[in-house]
Amino acid sequence: MLRFLVRRSLGALVILLVISMVTFELFFAIPQDPARLSCGKVCTPENLALIRHSMGLDESTIMQFWHWFSGIFTGRDYSVGHCDAPCFGYSFVKQEMITDVLLDRFPTTLSLTFGSVVVFLLFGVGTGMLAAHKQGKPADKIASSASLIASSMQIYVAGPLALYVFVYATDWLKQPAYIPITEDPIAWFSGLLVPWIVLSLIWTANYTRMTRSSMVEQLSEDYVRTARAKGMTGRSVFLRFAWRGAMGTIVTVFGIDLGTLLGGAIITETVFGLHGLGELAIRAYFDSDLSMLVGVTLVAATLIVVFNIIVDAAYALIDPRIRLA
Amino acid sequence: MNVRKSRQLAAAVMVVGALTVTTACSSGNSNSGTKPEASKSKVAATAITVGTAADSVGPAIAEPGAKKGGTVTMIDRDDFSHLDPAQVYLNYNSEASLLFTRQLTGYKLQADGTSKLVGDLATDTGTTADGGKTWKFTLKDGVKWQDGTPITSADVKYSVERTFAPFIKSGPTYLQQWLTATDYRAAYPGPYEGKELDAIQTPDAKTVVFAFQDVHPDANFTVAMTGYGVVPKAQDTKEAYDKKPFSSGPYQIAEHVTDKSLDLVRNPNWDPATDPIRNAYPDKWHMEFGVQSQQSTERFIADNGADKTTFSFHNQVHPTFIDKVKNDAALKPRTLEGLTPYVDYYYMNNTRLKDQKVREALLRAFPHQQTRQLQGGTSYGDYATNYMSPTVLGYEANDMYDILKKPEGDPEAAKKLLAEAGATGQTIVYAYNNTPTQQKVTEAIRVGLEKAGFKFVPKPLDAKTYYDAIGLTNNEYDLYWGGWGADWPTGYTSLQPVWDGRAIADGASNYAHTNDEAINKMMDDAVKIADPIAQGKAWAAIDKELQKKAYSIPDVYQRSLSLYGSGLGGVKFDSLFGLQYPLNIYVK
Repeated sequence: MLRFLVRRSLGALVILLVISMVTFELFFAIPQDPARLSCGKVCTPENLALIRHSMGLDESTIMQFWHWFSGIFTGRDYSVGHCDAPCFGYSFVKQEMITDVLLDRFPTTLSLTFGSVVVFLLFGVGTGMLAAHKQGKPADKIASSASLIASSMQIYVAGPLALYVFVYATDWLKQPAYIPITEDPIAWFSGLLVPWIVLSLIWTANYTRMTRSSMVEQLSEDYVRTARAKGMTGRSVFLRFAWRGAMGTIVTVFGIDLGTLLGGAIITETVFGLHGLGELAIRAYFDSDLSMLVGVTLVAATLIVVFNIIVDAAYALIDPRIRLA
Repeated sequence: MNVRKSRQLAAAVMVVGALTVTTACSSGNSNSGTKPEASKSKVAATAITVGTAADSVGPAIAEPGAKKGGTVTMIDRDDFSHLDPAQVYLNYNSEASLLFTRQLTGYKLQADGTSKLVGDLATDTGTTADGGKTWKFTLKDGVKWQDGTPITSADVKYSVERTFAPFIKSGPTYLQQWLTATDYRAAYPGPYEGKELDAIQTPDAKTVVFAFQDVHPDANFTVAMTGYGVVPKAQDTKEAYDKKPFSSGPYQIAEHVTDKSLDLVRNPNWDPATDPIRNAYPDKWHMEFGVQSQQSTERFIADNGADKTTFSFHNQVHPTFIDKVKNDAALKPRTLEGLTPYVDYYYMNNTRLKDQKVREALLRAFPHQQTRQLQGGTSYGDYATNYMSPTVLGYEANDMYDILKKPEGDPEAAKKLLAEAGATGQTIVYAYNNTPTQQKVTEAIRVGLEKAGFKFVPKPLDAKTYYDAIGLTNNEYDLYWGGWGADWPTGYTSLQPVWDGRAIADGASNYAHTNDEAINKMMDDAVKIADPIAQGKAWAAIDKELQKKAYSIPDVYQRSLSLYGSGLGGVKFDSLFGLQYPLNIYVK
C-alpha cells in the first residue's frame, strides 16, 4: 500500500507539473494584454510599457514560468512585499498575493461542497438503492422519473427559481451568503441552505441513477445468484454483496466529483453570489487576471489528482478482489 | 464607460457666479421603437455652477426628513478596482470615494437637483490672477485626517507629487502634465527619492499654489477629481495604500476584503462644519460585491429584510425587468432614472474614410432606432446628435443630419451622397464585439447600410481584446463602436482626448484618428479662455465643426435606470458620474 501511494504521488507531481506548464503557456499565449487593463482610461504607450515591465510581461514566457514555478517552493519578492512559499504569484489586477486569496476563498467552496455532498450521498445513494431493491415497481418508477427530471435541470435554471421561491417571493429562507462556521454556525447553515438544496438536487439525481444502475448490474451477477442459491437472506445479499460491488463505481465517480466540486462550483457560486474558488475563477477570466487563473486551475487540478489517488487506494478496502500492485 | 437607461433628454447647463448658459435638446421615443422622435419629450435639467466662498462653507444642504443612524448596505457586481485616490479614475470608484476621500474642490448637490462646484478642503474654488496659469487654493480651518492631525498644504502638495510615482498607473494625468511636461514621468520621479516638485508651492500651512506650464482656466474642476484627493505622507504605504486609504472624509474603512466586502464606520475627526458637500446620516456602510444585476434587481423588487436598506452604486435594472420596473407603480417611488455623462459613438476610421461625402452618407444611413432598440430601447439612452454630452457645460443641440427626424436612417439621402462621391458600393468594414447583443446590432447595421448602397463586411472581435484591436492606429476597420464620458463637465475632457489629432497613438482614445488642423487650433484656443461661458461656447463651436465634417456617428447619450430598497430615503441620481449618489442617503 505504501509503495503504491508513494508511486502514485510521484506520478501525480509529474502530472501537476505538466498541467501547470500547459496552463501557464495556454493562458499567457492567448492574444490579450493584461497590462492594458491596468493602464487606465488614457493609456499612453509609455505607461503601458511601464506596467508590462512591472508585471514581468516583458520577459519570455519560459522565464515568467520559471519565476512563477520556483516561487511555489522558495517564495518570491514583489514590489509590494515578499510572498512566502508556497507562492502562487501576485495578482496585479486585485493587488493581492494569490495564495492568500485562494486560502480566503477555499472555506466557502469547502462549506458549499460539504453540505451538498452530505445531502446528495445520503439521498442519492439511498434512493438509488431503494429503486434497485424495488426494481420495476412503482417506487422505482417514481424515483427514476424524478431523478431524470432533476438531472436534466441546470443550476442556472434551478438556482434563480429556488431564489425566487424561497427567498424573494416568500422570504422563507435567507439570502445566500457565506458566514464562517467558527463565527456563527447558525448563520453558516442558513446562509448556505438554498445553494445546498439546489446543488444537491442535481447531484442527488445523478447519484440515484448511477447507484440504481450499478446495483441492478451487481444483482444480476453470478456471485449474487450463487449467494442466493446458497440460502443467504435477501438483505445480506443486497447489502453485503451487491452494494459492496456497486460501491466501486460510486466511489470512483464520487472521488472525481468531490475534487471537481472542491475546485469550485463556478455556476452555483456565481448564481448565489458566493465567493468561492469557482466564482474566483470566472471573475479572473473576465478580468484577464491570468496569474489568478493559473493559481485556481492548479488548485482544482491538484484536488482532482489527489482524490483520484485516494479513490484508487479506497478500492482495495472496498473490493477484496482488487490488489494494489 | 458604461451605464444606461431611458426616456427623454434635454439639458440645461449653466454656470453661475454671475454667469448663465443654457441649451436644450430633446429626443425620446416609445420603447416599441416604431415612431419617430416626437415633441412629447420631457425636459430634465442638469446643471453645473461654480460657487463662491460662501457656498463652500459646511455643513452640506440637509436632506428633508433625514435622520442619523443605522447601517446602509450597498450591493454591486464588482469591488472597487482602486481606492488610492491617485489610482481612481472610474466613476464607480469615485462615487464610493466621496465617503472617505476629500479634494481641494468638489460638487455640492443643490436642493433643486443641480450641482455646484465649491471648495471642499479649500475655502473656495481657487483663484487665478493670470488667466489660469497659476492657481492658488487656501485650506479651511478644522480639516483633519482620521487620526485627528490637521490636513495641511504640504499634504496636498505631497498627494499630487506621488501621482508621478511609477506605481501610480491608472489615475488621471492632467495636473502632472500641466505642472511639468507631456512625458511627466521623465520630468519628475515622484517624492519617494526625496525630491520635491517646485511647480507646487506651499508658502504656509494653509496655502497651496500650482504653477502650470500653460493656462488652464478650468483647473478648479480638475482638482475636484478623486484622482487628486489627499493622501497623508505619514500613512502612505505606496501600492498597499490602494487597499485601505486613510480617511479625510466622514467615514473610514473598518475592513476591506477584496471582491467580497467593504465596511465603513464613522470618522470621529471629520467635522461637518468644514464640509459643504457631504451629509453623513448612516452610522455604518456595508458594501457587498459579486451580485449580478439580475440578482440585485430581483432583490430590490422583493424588498425583503436587510434589502430594504440596500442600494447599488452601479448595478442597473436588468434588461428583462425594465418593463416591469417602469410599469409598476409600487416601484416608482424607489426607481431612479437619469442621463449619464457617457456618449456612445460609432467611430469612423478617418485614416481610411477620407471622403467627407462618404462619411455623411454613413451618418444619414445609420439605423439608430434599430440598434438602440436591440440594446434596451429608450432605457438605453437618447439619440445623440452631438459629440458633446448634454451634461457638459456649453452644450448646444444640433441635428445636422436629421437623426431625430429619421432615427431609422435615411437610405435615399445616403444613396444620393454616395453617388455624388462616386462611391456607390463603397465597402465598410465594421468591427464589433462578438457578443450575442452586438451580433444582432451588427445585423441591423448591415441592413441599414446595405439599403443605402454600401457593401458591408462584418469583422467580429474578441470582447476581451476589442479595445486593443480598435485602438491600433493601423487597424483595418472603417467603423466601430466606442463610448466616452467627460472627466469633468467642461468641453475640454469631453472632446479633446477623443478628437484632438495630436492625441493619435496606439491605444490612445482618438479612435477615429481625427486630425483636423483647424479643430486642433480651435481646441488650443478654447482651453485658454478664462470665462467659463465663453469657453463653453468655444467648445460648442468645436462640437459643431466636428458634426459638420462628419468625423464619426454620435449614437446615444446613455441613460441609467436603477432601484433601491424601501427603507432608505435621500437616494438620488448623480448625473456627474451616472450612478446612485450616497451623500444624502439615510435609513428611514
